[in-house]
Amino acid sequence: MKLVKQLAITACAAAMFATAAHADTIKVGSAGGVTGPIAELVATIVKGRDLARDQINAEGGLLKGSKLEMVIGDSACDPKAAVDAVGKLVNVEQVVGIVGPSCSGATNASVQAVTIPAGVAVLSDSATAPSVTELKDNDTVFRVAPSDAYQGLAIAQLVNKAGIKKVAMTYSNDDYNAGIAKVFEEEFKKMGGEITGNQAHEPNKASYRSELQTLTQGGPEAIAIFAYYGSSGITIIKNSLENGLFGKFFAADGMFDQSVIDQIGADNLKGNIQITQASSDTEDASYKAFAEAFKATGSDPAAPYAAHGYDATFMMALAIEKAGSADRAKIKDALRAISDGKGEVVRPGEWAKAKKLIADGTDINYEGASGSADFDENGDVSGVFAVNVVGDDGKWAKELLK
Amino acid sequence: MDPVLYGYMLYVVSLLTVGGLYAILALGLNVQWGFTGLFNAGIAGFFGIGAYTAAILTTNPHASHVGGFQMPYVVAAIAAMLVAGVIAFLVGKVCLRLRSDYLAIATIGIAEIFRLIVNNETWATNGPRGISQIPRPFEGLPEPINQFAFLGVVLVTLAGVYWLMEIARKSPWGRVMTAIRDNETSAKAAGKNVETFRMEGFVIGCMIMALAGALMAHYLKFVNPQTTDPLLATFIVFVMLVIGGSANNKGAILGAFLVWTLWSASEIVAPRLLEAIGMTDAGIRSAYVRIFLIGLLLQIFLQKNPQGILPETRPSSPGKNSS
Repeated sequence: MKLVKQLAITACAAAMFATAAHADTIKVGSAGGVTGPIAELVATIVKGRDLARDQINAEGGLLKGSKLEMVIGDSACDPKAAVDAVGKLVNVEQVVGIVGPSCSGATNASVQAVTIPAGVAVLSDSATAPSVTELKDNDTVFRVAPSDAYQGLAIAQLVNKAGIKKVAMTYSNDDYNAGIAKVFEEEFKKMGGEITGNQAHEPNKASYRSELQTLTQGGPEAIAIFAYYGSSGITIIKNSLENGLFGKFFAADGMFDQSVIDQIGADNLKGNIQITQASSDTEDASYKAFAEAFKATGSDPAAPYAAHGYDATFMMALAIEKAGSADRAKIKDALRAISDGKGEVVRPGEWAKAKKLIADGTDINYEGASGSADFDENGDVSGVFAVNVVGDDGKWAKELLK
Repeated sequence: MDPVLYGYMLYVVSLLTVGGLYAILALGLNVQWGFTGLFNAGIAGFFGIGAYTAAILTTNPHASHVGGFQMPYVVAAIAAMLVAGVIAFLVGKVCLRLRSDYLAIATIGIAEIFRLIVNNETWATNGPRGISQIPRPFEGLPEPINQFAFLGVVLVTLAGVYWLMEIARKSPWGRVMTAIRDNETSAKAAGKNVETFRMEGFVIGCMIMALAGALMAHYLKFVNPQTTDPLLATFIVFVMLVIGGSANNKGAILGAFLVWTLWSASEIVAPRLLEAIGMTDAGIRSAYVRIFLIGLLLQIFLQKNPQGILPETRPSSPGKNSS
């Protein structure tokens, strides 16, 4: 039983540590899949969050000079781990709000099991599942990452605009691609289009010829691919071209990579492929402000959801400032007020300015690096999407979809 | 109530709830590994069968998956156990003749097949997107009473399973099980039908695992294929059982609470330790350091106590009053 005693001592020590937190810090949870299947993505997203924290603390901190502290919670992309980690953030660390978690499943479980009952605002920077929208959340669940619903719609509009009425589709059976594919199917049918065939595929197969052969039935004019380029997307395009099955491709952002052009050849793809991408308007002043600061820390501003991580943290801080106290209930209400499209524009890095405006009682409107970040009634943002086509130089040429 | 104290109270409630769910899983594994000596490495699969069955049977209608049966929790839990029992029987028919390590490989395969089925049969399970908005018993009660009430459900279930398993352990049936585990040939020579007993142990264990899965689905209010990730659904259960004391029901329960507390609370301690020694990026590093530390601690512990905290105690033989 010696071990039990030691454990008890450790637990007591932990409790003392936890309560010994400095009174002049305000804690916000930084939940994410730090370990697990998307650990690499999350590391950069957390860097984006930390950049916002550092800028805020360098320019006067929160309220009367309190430091913003981001407490990491490892949601591991697993609902069980997420409920535990977020529970600790809420109950033990006593955070006033939470940025994250990253995976949709982890977000879905932890908000339902922990934060909605506790009334703590959650602002996810990378959960994109449409099912997060339909939760009865007492207006506590927000996200700055656009729901997949919007990308599915964006692709459907592209196909429609290209004058294509019959299309085949295939998706890699993971939560991300399957979600976008489902929305695409619904939206395209609503526009009067016809889905001639719809097949799920398992990634990492050597060939997709038989699946594609089946999909050619019914006379589709093009194929919509929802997959990751490395695990199945490139093979699907290769198989289609080699066998003359499909010549026109539409795809979601899992397919966006230079290696697609390099491996298949710009000549084969030019004019025949369009890839949507949740994007930042790189010409936008907000994005430039973020990108410059993020580059200075040695990180890549184009990394997936890094800008969203930055925005989520900055917005949580603005909400605390606007609420005027570290009160959970006031903060969740303030989140809407700081980004409702009305008021003086605040951009990334402009903490001192925002602080002054809020102190003067002026309405502010945060325009984020990832987009305008204005919440709709569900706490979602519509996001900014771009379409990528093969340019003259054999590289992807991006154009924003408005 | 002081908000800090209130927070700690809720955290302890959640520790006990999840610890209790793992204790049920560990009791299920104890029937198989502890008493019968069956190496079931597919706990996650049967856990998942329970979770998905309960989720589908209790949720409101939703376009994304089968369901809308809105059945009472008890009915769903029983159904979860029955489904798992039938599947375990079919699996057992094929796999139970395999020796220990081959059975482990076969059961890992079963769990993986289950994961692929729920991942791909989108019409039934919503595929990788998972089933959301699963109801939880007593969630209509005000905070925090509802959390205590659900903890009560878990602990009462745990007590019930423990009670049944203790009866089983002390019964002739339990003694045959340990006899098979320790020496199959002599059990056979004593006229025991080894195949049937092994099957019974396997099916009962899997049904208990499904019960834990059903309760976990209600607790998380959400299941997806990642919920059956083996790290936190198979391997940790073995660790719990072995640490607590294999073939000892009290040990299984103690191990579950202990290891889960260690696993969960280490996330609170680890970053503070790293910060104290002046490490940068303590938050991200500690997520890995803590997994390493837990592994190390378990290694040291098992080196010193290979029997677990509570070693096996054999029930007294009938006719003798000494215990």
